[in-house]
Amino acid sequence: MKPHAGMRLAQMGIVLLLLLAAWTIGYADGPLSHDVRPGYGVSDIQWLSDYLPALRGTPGDTPIYVMQGQEPGGVALILGGTHANEIAGIMAAVLLVERGSVQRGTVFVIPHANNSASRINSGVYNATSPQSFELTNALGEVRWFHYGDRRTQPEDQEPDPDVFVHEPSGLELPGDEARNLNRNHPGKADGTLTQQISFALFALVNNENVDVLVDMHEASLYSRLSNMLVSHPRAVDIAAFTVLDLETEGLALKQEVSSEEYFGLSHREFGDRTNAFAFLIESSNPGQEASIENPDVVNDPRSPLSDRVYLQLRTIETILANHALLEGSARAIAFAFPFAVGDLLGADLGLFLR
Amino acid sequence: MKRFEAKWAVSMMLIVVLGLMAVGQEEAAQPDPLTFEQPVLITSIGQSAGAAQVRVVAIRAGVEATYTQRATLEELEGVATLVIVLGASSKGLGAAGVDVDGEMAWATELVETARDQGIQVIAMHIEGGARRGPSSDLIVTTFSAMSDYLIVKGSAPGIAWTADEAADGNADGLFTTIATDGEIPISYIETTLGAVDVFIELFAIEPAEG
Repeated sequence: MKPHAGMRLAQMGIVLLLLLAAWTIGYADGPLSHDVRPGYGVSDIQWLSDYLPALRGTPGDTPIYVMQGQEPGGVALILGGTHANEIAGIMAAVLLVERGSVQRGTVFVIPHANNSASRINSGVYNATSPQSFELTNALGEVRWFHYGDRRTQPEDQEPDPDVFVHEPSGLELPGDEARNLNRNHPGKADGTLTQQISFALFALVNNENVDVLVDMHEASLYSRLSNMLVSHPRAVDIAAFTVLDLETEGLALKQEVSSEEYFGLSHREFGDRTNAFAFLIESSNPGQEASIENPDVVNDPRSPLSDRVYLQLRTIETILANHALLEGSARAIAFAFPFAVGDLLGADLGLFLR
Repeated sequence: MKRFEAKWAVSMMLIVVLGLMAVGQEEAAQPDPLTFEQPVLITSIGQSAGAAQVRVVAIRAGVEATYTQRATLEELEGVATLVIVLGASSKGLGAAGVDVDGEMAWATELVETARDQGIQVIAMHIEGGARRGPSSDLIVTTFSAMSDYLIVKGSAPGIAWTADEAADGNADGLFTTIATDGEIPISYIETTLGAVDVFIELFAIEPAEG
């Protein structure tokens, strides 16, 4: 009996080890899944790897939700989750996918642009920031969302260099920026996972003739960057019209233009290397403020998530309206919700989700 | 004698009245000091994005204006009014490849040349607290004092600021002090588009017909 028992224990151990190995491989290699429930406005779901097959099956692959408008027009690409801890952009993208519909043109929505970064929050700005958050929808169903990281998970690509040298500019940055998607543009087809993600995004923008690209970010509650609209110099007029329009609605945004000395950022590189008008929006996230212990990233009254999602979506709506105004209606893009975006202000975001 | 005296009195009165009318006409012929002429050149001192926003203001006010983020002396040719939008942006200065000292030197030459050529100067500060700080304040104090008119998005003396606190560029009263000390007329606005009405008044824009 004893040898049998020992054998059985050994067999169980081997099975457990195999299961653990399979789990680890799957965990590290496959793209993370998220609770996103596409609505009627979504006409197709693609993968980022459709634009760079090398990404298929990697943690960098991510779904692209295509929303085809009722009328022809231009093309927009809306990015959330470039930094996966900046959740207002992710939830704005999720809300657009779940409840939005496109009237004119085509909108590509990527809620988790750096899907690898979504997996675990390293607490880069705040060690007590959460790993997840929950929202309750109108049916009382609790929905669970990842609160991710600023950068690609370290195990998903080669070890960080001592100094990260941005390609092709040669700009030198700290080594961990090799995993920061918003320092790696325009990317590289055979580069690191982060560079491949960027390369695929550029392929999408070029192949689909994207007119307007918006990259949604967040900054710390008290950061100079918070509540800001950054644009490429080519898009400065659209940005100026947008900031002034929003100010009349009581939404105060600072306006900045891409630096010509700082490379790798979305607004700079997409603006320089593609035909798209490139923008980056920053709302203010209590989870990125180091001085707040156990920050409430959803309900902090200083900057609740619903207000931040409103800021992102209302800014995009206004950018698209002014793009149509200044560039002509032939390439106009417009989306809408079955509610006014302003209804999000001070509301419970979960009630707007599916 | 009585008839002569009466005629003399009437004549004197007529002379006085006509003299007063002439003086009145002469005064009316003088240009209103608060009227500015077109065309307008809008530029930034400090290289923030505010100048691009003022271009939008000019378009909406119907003012004939061109916008150059960092204007050259040659671009002053044919310009009647120079609008300088004040506020330092490290990104913007970096993009222009200059530091604050370089910006001050360029802007001083630009504004002095404009004034030498009889071009009127309107200084604007519209980006609130985000464009206040050591570099911005150096630009603000230097070039506000060289202007003929000030427009600031910020709180006016004795009037509570109801908009976003961060949007108040005059929370410490700096612009009020500059305007008072330099006897420079000033307009306070609550939103940047509030400058549209100020432009309409300053440039005497007639409402569109129809």
